[in-house]
Amino acid sequence: MHKKRYLRKIVLLIFTLVAILSQYACKKKINTSQNITIASSGKIESLDPARASTLKSYQLLNALGDTLYGLSNEGELIPKLAKSKPIFSKDKLKIFIKLRENILFHDGTPFDSSSMKFTIERFQNIGTLNYILNKKIKSIETPSKELLIINLNNPSSSIEGLLTSINLTAISPTFYKDHFDKFLNNNFIGTGEYKLKRFSNEIQTLSPNTIYWNKKPKNNGINFIGYNSFSTLYGAFISKQVDVLLSNSIDDTLRYKLNLLNKKNYIRESQSEPIEISFISLRTNKIPLNNIDIRLAIAKSLDRELIRNKVSFSLRSSASSLIPLILKKDNSVSWPDFDPKESKRIFREQGYCDGNILNLPLTYRSNVPTDKLIAFYWQQSVKAQMKDCFSISINGVESTTIYKNLSEGIYPSVILDWTGAYSDPEAYLSPLLSCDKFIENHCLKGEAVFSGSFWASEKVEKLFKESESLEGVERLNKLLEIENLASKSLPYIPIWTSSQKAWSQNYISKPTFNGAGIINMSELLKNEK
Amino acid sequence: MKSNLKNVFNYTLIKISLIPLNLWIISSLIFILLRIAPGDPIDAILGSGADQEARELMRIKLGLNQSIEIQYINYLKNLLNLNLGNSLSNQEPVIEIIRNALPATIELGLFSILVAIFIGFPLGYIGLKNKNKKYDYISRIIGISSYAIPPFWGAMMMQLIFSVILRVLPIGGRFPIAENLDSTTGFFILDSILKNDLNAFQGAIYHLALPSLTLGFLLSGIFSRSLRLNLEKAYKSDYVDAATSRGINEKNILINYAFPNALIPIFTITGFAIASLAGGALLIEVTFSWPGLALKLQEAILQRDYNLVQGIVIVTSIIIISINLLIDIMIAFFDPRIKY
Repeated sequence: MHKKRYLRKIVLLIFTLVAILSQYACKKKINTSQNITIASSGKIESLDPARASTLKSYQLLNALGDTLYGLSNEGELIPKLAKSKPIFSKDKLKIFIKLRENILFHDGTPFDSSSMKFTIERFQNIGTLNYILNKKIKSIETPSKELLIINLNNPSSSIEGLLTSINLTAISPTFYKDHFDKFLNNNFIGTGEYKLKRFSNEIQTLSPNTIYWNKKPKNNGINFIGYNSFSTLYGAFISKQVDVLLSNSIDDTLRYKLNLLNKKNYIRESQSEPIEISFISLRTNKIPLNNIDIRLAIAKSLDRELIRNKVSFSLRSSASSLIPLILKKDNSVSWPDFDPKESKRIFREQGYCDGNILNLPLTYRSNVPTDKLIAFYWQQSVKAQMKDCFSISINGVESTTIYKNLSEGIYPSVILDWTGAYSDPEAYLSPLLSCDKFIENHCLKGEAVFSGSFWASEKVEKLFKESESLEGVERLNKLLEIENLASKSLPYIPIWTSSQKAWSQNYISKPTFNGAGIINMSELLKNEK
Repeated sequence: MKSNLKNVFNYTLIKISLIPLNLWIISSLIFILLRIAPGDPIDAILGSGADQEARELMRIKLGLNQSIEIQYINYLKNLLNLNLGNSLSNQEPVIEIIRNALPATIELGLFSILVAIFIGFPLGYIGLKNKNKKYDYISRIIGISSYAIPPFWGAMMMQLIFSVILRVLPIGGRFPIAENLDSTTGFFILDSILKNDLNAFQGAIYHLALPSLTLGFLLSGIFSRSLRLNLEKAYKSDYVDAATSRGINEKNILINYAFPNALIPIFTITGFAIASLAGGALLIEVTFSWPGLALKLQEAILQRDYNLVQGIVIVTSIIIISINLLIDIMIAFFDPRIKY
């Protein structure tokens, strides 16, 4: 008996000692970096601007390199490597861009028009997303080191927005000379405020670029780390193993918890302008959704406020537009609001209700937790308010499978989201509404097919073409006219817009974002813990 | 003895000659299953916003425009030349990706097996020695829990306790963010020892601790149960009775008689444990962001990266087949009762 007690005491003592020692030792090991550690979900496959397609790689490339133009929080074009705003020729087929002088790449070679030409042509040659550019640019001229001339195939005012694309981050032709036709995934030589010190798929270390042409970073450097699960990401932040948590894909419950911590001043929270649109795509080429009145009734059954409150804890903004507000200046175009009485009236008018219930199969991406909740709350809201007319059956399918099947018209309705490849209203409208070949209002070939709506309009195509030769407010009005047509025809129903969010520990300054939803890493400042 | 060696040699030859057939079946199955599975690598690469022309160009670039038969023949030809092709998503050679990720998985696997043995064997022995008593029940409960606990939940609990609440161990990753190790072998612990870098060694161990403890605990049930059963069987055997009657003490009986004989069936079970390790490692690697082969496999599946999935499955199969073969040979060699 005594022996057992004695044994227990020893075990307890050993356990306590191990706990104390490991705590002492590990405190030294966990996050001792002088750099600011930013954690985000997933990993970075490539630092090649020609291959970048994820927000995470955009974040890093924005810190490591510069584009010709940036975007302010008001959606205005800000010259970066360019000296001034682009000048269009009278026929709108040439763009003249004056470049800044005395800028050096991280390898010490100078930046000039030929390096920008190399960057653009390389992207056209191998870029994963080169389709956003290839139809627009005909050739590039470099009459002098400070002047770049872009010749266009057709007038294209959206090219301005394209020039802000991270995919066109300037790279050193000397360093990339052997990589004109292949990617360089694990290194980067640009002109940015940071230099790449270390790269692995999971961790990237950036150090300040001491010869940067513009304002130098306020911090000693950045560690960028990727975790694969939200729980790990959240745990790492809560336990102060990372300084900043950056993720727009983090689970809404965790967002809510972080929001509460921010309200109690335990942490700091900030967000970008909303740039991601979530919407429901309706297959308009088959019954019953080929009937515009049915689509209207369905649109009026969507209680955005309920979904916003229940799913996002009121942390996202309801959307009644396909274009983020930052890009359209006002909110003149609006989709139908939630109106269950009117919805029922239309259903009744179309021969439904009283025993004849329209069932809408709604597909959501099973690997996107919010999509499932959106589908569920819409289903339950419809069940509570209009079960004698309309019902929704929900079905989860993995996202890659959905993308593959969208163009085959398998899903009558599906929840999707979209972030424009560049900051321009066209980057939101064209991928959803443009169509190359159509009969009446049915798209046979084009972007509307790949978005699952199969909706087309001759007028929309005409307006897209007209907008290409316009600029400024006139062009924006043309694009809003397109959106207006879409809001009347309802191939899509917007749900909400999402922002890029960041949370920082109290000893770190509050994160800020630029107009494209990219965090300003150089503005982050670490105080004493 | 000579005849047995010859038999073992013949048996080994037969087993080795069957490996290509095994691999052909596995590689063909994975090729077919990937093509049957819904989803398209083009969507994963270009996203849903790309136009048809861009999709077609990408399809041609990746060779996915060819018929399935031609793709299959090319795939087998490449395999025969030990060429696993390039990743569809980043165009890097699959063999390079595997070479970079494999050491992390092996490191985690080895330490997990060690943890499983360190937990499983004492539990099994304590259970047997205290049959139907309190410690036996505790050991059984722990053993059964290790089977029953879902790996992702176990991993999250470990993170919650040791990283978030106690804050003694890092929550994920393989190496401290602030430190840099110029790895030559890919095995961080080995590298840090070779370079005599104590900081790197500590860092690598700290990061390895949670995932290997979790995976080791989940595997420990296999070892505790099998040791308990086989040791019990050994204790009931004639040679232990004979040893006991000769007055040999309990410790010696355990070390020299019961334990070595109980270990032989455990060798076989280790083969199964390694196979289940490959499955369990997937969830552990994902939860702890451990940059190993299983994490790569998960990402490759999500991206429908056919070449990378095929490559990882084939390499994993080769490893599992080889280890099982080695275990079979060892058993055949050490256990004279086994005839071939």
